[in-house]
Amino acid sequence: MMSRFSMLCGEVPALGWLLGILASVTAEYVIGEDLSNILGMDKAPVLFGVLMAFKEPLMIPNLLAYAFIIYVFPAVSTGILTRVPANRLAGRLDHLPVIISGLLHISFLYLIIHFWAGMNDYHLIVIKITMISVILTLSMNVINGYMGEFSCSHPGFMAIGAYTTSVMTLVLFTKSRFGAGPILPEAAGPFVFPIVLVIGGLLTSLAALIVAIPSFRTRGDYLAIISLAFTFMIKSIIENMEIIGGARGLGDQPDFSGLTAVFAWTVLCIWVVNNFVTSVPGKAMNAVRDNESAADAMTVNTRKTKITAFMFGAFWAGVAGGLLAHMLRYINPGTFGLQKLAEIFAMVYFGGLNSIYGSIVGAASISLLGEALRPLELYKWIVIPLLLIIVMIKRPTGLMAFMEFNMKKLLRPRDRGKEEGPVG
Amino acid sequence: MVYFFQNFLNALQWGSFYALIALGYSMVYGILMLFNFAHGDVFMTGAYIGLGTALFFTMIFSSGAVSVVPGWIILVLTILSSMALASILGMIIERIGYRPLRNAPRASAAITGLMIGIILETGNLAILGAQRFSFPSIIDTVTWEAGGIFFTNKKILIVAVALFLMAALHVFIKKTKWGMAMRAMSYDPLAVPLMGVSVNIVAPMTFAIGSGLAAAAGVLYSMAYPVLDPMMGVNLGWKAFVAAILGGRGSIMGAALAGFILGFIEIFVAMIFPSTLRDLIAYSIILAILTFRPYGFFGQAHSAQLRL
Amino acid sequence: MDKLLHIEKMSHSFGGLQAVQNFSLEIGAGEIVGLIGPNGAGKTTVFNLITGVYKPVSGRVMLRGRDIAGEQPHTIASLGIGRTFQNLLLWRHMNVLDHVKIAHYSQVTYGLAGAFFGTPRRNRQEREIEQTSMELLKRFRVDHFALLPVGSLPYGAQRRVEIARAMATRPRLLLLDEPTAGMTPDELKEMIGIIKGIHADYGVAILLIEHRMKFVMELCSRIVTLVFGEIIAEGAPMEIRNNPKVIEAYLGREDIT
Repeated sequence: MMSRFSMLCGEVPALGWLLGILASVTAEYVIGEDLSNILGMDKAPVLFGVLMAFKEPLMIPNLLAYAFIIYVFPAVSTGILTRVPANRLAGRLDHLPVIISGLLHISFLYLIIHFWAGMNDYHLIVIKITMISVILTLSMNVINGYMGEFSCSHPGFMAIGAYTTSVMTLVLFTKSRFGAGPILPEAAGPFVFPIVLVIGGLLTSLAALIVAIPSFRTRGDYLAIISLAFTFMIKSIIENMEIIGGARGLGDQPDFSGLTAVFAWTVLCIWVVNNFVTSVPGKAMNAVRDNESAADAMTVNTRKTKITAFMFGAFWAGVAGGLLAHMLRYINPGTFGLQKLAEIFAMVYFGGLNSIYGSIVGAASISLLGEALRPLELYKWIVIPLLLIIVMIKRPTGLMAFMEFNMKKLLRPRDRGKEEGPVG
Repeated sequence: MVYFFQNFLNALQWGSFYALIALGYSMVYGILMLFNFAHGDVFMTGAYIGLGTALFFTMIFSSGAVSVVPGWIILVLTILSSMALASILGMIIERIGYRPLRNAPRASAAITGLMIGIILETGNLAILGAQRFSFPSIIDTVTWEAGGIFFTNKKILIVAVALFLMAALHVFIKKTKWGMAMRAMSYDPLAVPLMGVSVNIVAPMTFAIGSGLAAAAGVLYSMAYPVLDPMMGVNLGWKAFVAAILGGRGSIMGAALAGFILGFIEIFVAMIFPSTLRDLIAYSIILAILTFRPYGFFGQAHSAQLRL
Repeated sequence: MDKLLHIEKMSHSFGGLQAVQNFSLEIGAGEIVGLIGPNGAGKTTVFNLITGVYKPVSGRVMLRGRDIAGEQPHTIASLGIGRTFQNLLLWRHMNVLDHVKIAHYSQVTYGLAGAFFGTPRRNRQEREIEQTSMELLKRFRVDHFALLPVGSLPYGAQRRVEIARAMATRPRLLLLDEPTAGMTPDELKEMIGIIKGIHADYGVAILLIEHRMKFVMELCSRIVTLVFGEIIAEGAPMEIRNNPKVIEAYLGREDIT
């Protein structure tokens, strides 16, 4: 019975799962409210009811029933029921160039996310934070996983990206403390904001040289200290710069980090990072990590590889910082401290090193868990560390480490047995 | 000049805290080639344990409002009991966070250490709440003046206790059998287990001693700065970690010396520049030192890596 | 005409210890030269000096008329000196195919833009590299291991992967540091075949450190004997075998077979 069921699930292609998720989201939209009333809850549980489970443990069976009826059952049943047409369609798409089939799937995913995020503001915030976390986790994974340096500089990178982009948008689009009134109309935002983010990311890359250059000679513990000192220095510099708000922070950024922008940047980030880490110059990072002398003897330019890894990772961290600043619309130096570092570490090491799937899973699970436990801030910082300790003891490189991401494999039809194989 | 000497004394006190904490980092590094990233929070926990035991001893040794034993006895009891309890904590940390990961990538053990630290901080907040506690003044402050420089008995006591503990550690490491086992193990981690000394005994012992010293630092720190805060270990701990690195990994007395040097850097930077710039300048100096002297003051260039 | 490699009075010391002294050697294109000597004689140091891991204190190292002493190791490698290591320096988290692909690093011309954005040129080059890598793996009979992590391979196969990886850098001179260390007699025979094969197919010159005399005698046209960092004898295998200095310093204590 169970094996038959898991076999059926194995035949569902990515497209089928997307349909299943759509079904769940529709179910939540249509009957979520009524069902929660029937099950004796005041309102529909947000984020899988983790919070409610903590407050009223007696409600846990009802919450589980709710989760089953709204999320699990529609997704799985739709997936299994539609597997035949979905496989046929996936087979058709499989013949198209992978970029077109990929874009179609991604557009479909975007529609689902848009639908879900449109239900309430909380969903919107959660989904945006999750996607920004994916960018952050990937960018740290490039440095700490693929390159294998123990770098603690990420909060610093984020801060640079967040502050530089904020200053740019504040100058361009608002009547701010920086002088003259708005230079550009707010409507130009969607076109100018990407440029601003790229500039912010590039500036972050430049700053990353402070950490990258010492990494030529030192690794490991020393680099940990250098990168940590970098983070503290950035924080301290910002605290001492009154022009950008000092310790009080900087606010009123224009609201440019909409769902579309964040989604597009996340997809772009996954695509570019995946391109990079599967290329020969990208794999050279792994060679330098695993044995620098051997890499050197095999023509790999180790310094260039290290610099590229740091600057590339820092670029994306800067972009994530910029997106975050324009989503929260208020930042202060405290946002980019050790707590942030612990959070990013948790995502990277939970999901798995040297792995794009791992980064996505790690970022999504830790940030969803973090959001679900947010009102219980204290427990959040007991539950997540405990979880991470257990993962580290059981699988020291994370849950899904060393897995290569392959779009074509991910999207292919699953009905033919000969193409079976683990995908991730 | 008077100002300078006044600050010299302050720096000596400030450096004692760093030095005591840095010793723990460095000792654990010597044995396991790993840093105990929860160590800063052991310092914090030590301070809170000290608070608890100080209140306890003050209570049982007083009749009415008057203490029946001299303050220094209570202080000694407080320091000793806090050191003992923190040692147990250190052994627990070793057992949970480090022993299962001894053959895992070094970065993973760093992560578990960090996470245990976070659990200690949050656990403290969860149990004691956000309110700040202040450490009881166990002994009365006496101030002397010599040539315009003010000495308090507490400052001198703090520096003296710190130096005494360092000397005791030095004797332990040089003269006892276990100290020699520790030294041997940091010299060659593979050979010593072959000679019948188990890592499973030496490693917990090292964690225990390091944690005990951190707890002593915690109590001493609370005497000087009596308001306790669950996050107090973060800042001090990281700086002491920096001192351990500057001293050269695994070089125990190097770590102590670097702790004092760091204390001096910080106090004198604050003397010349506005205090908001203190961290910035201190970290810039550290960055510069590590860039030009990547293996610290007293360490050798061996290429252990915190890697996959 | 210039020799392929021309080393002139190369010396190096660690602290006070003179590791290599006035080392001179010429290797012509397609020659196989053996480097023998007792343990600690400085053989691996010679390799590290040629490949740029250490910079010689004095002397010149000319590769096809160009002085490479003091260049970065990766530059020297891309100029045509490939090497293997005495104790197998493989990349432990990587599969066999990636090992050979990465060794194409200096031949990649698509640059970072190609790496980030997957340009057609990148896709074409990546395909070519994959193809040549697979051919190399087949040549060394490890192609069926292509997608396995390198650590899961038997020892002899790991040695072959290491040589395949070195060949992927398209060397004109291959430095082999004890390629038969720890091998069984069967694997040893196989290794002789492989080295003869790459020498015949690619016309690559080989400088080889080896302890097993049988192996050296069979492969090398010339043998250099190093003792305490100094060359004490150089010549054809038979001459070396009968040279009293060599016998005294090195061979006398071992079984010459």
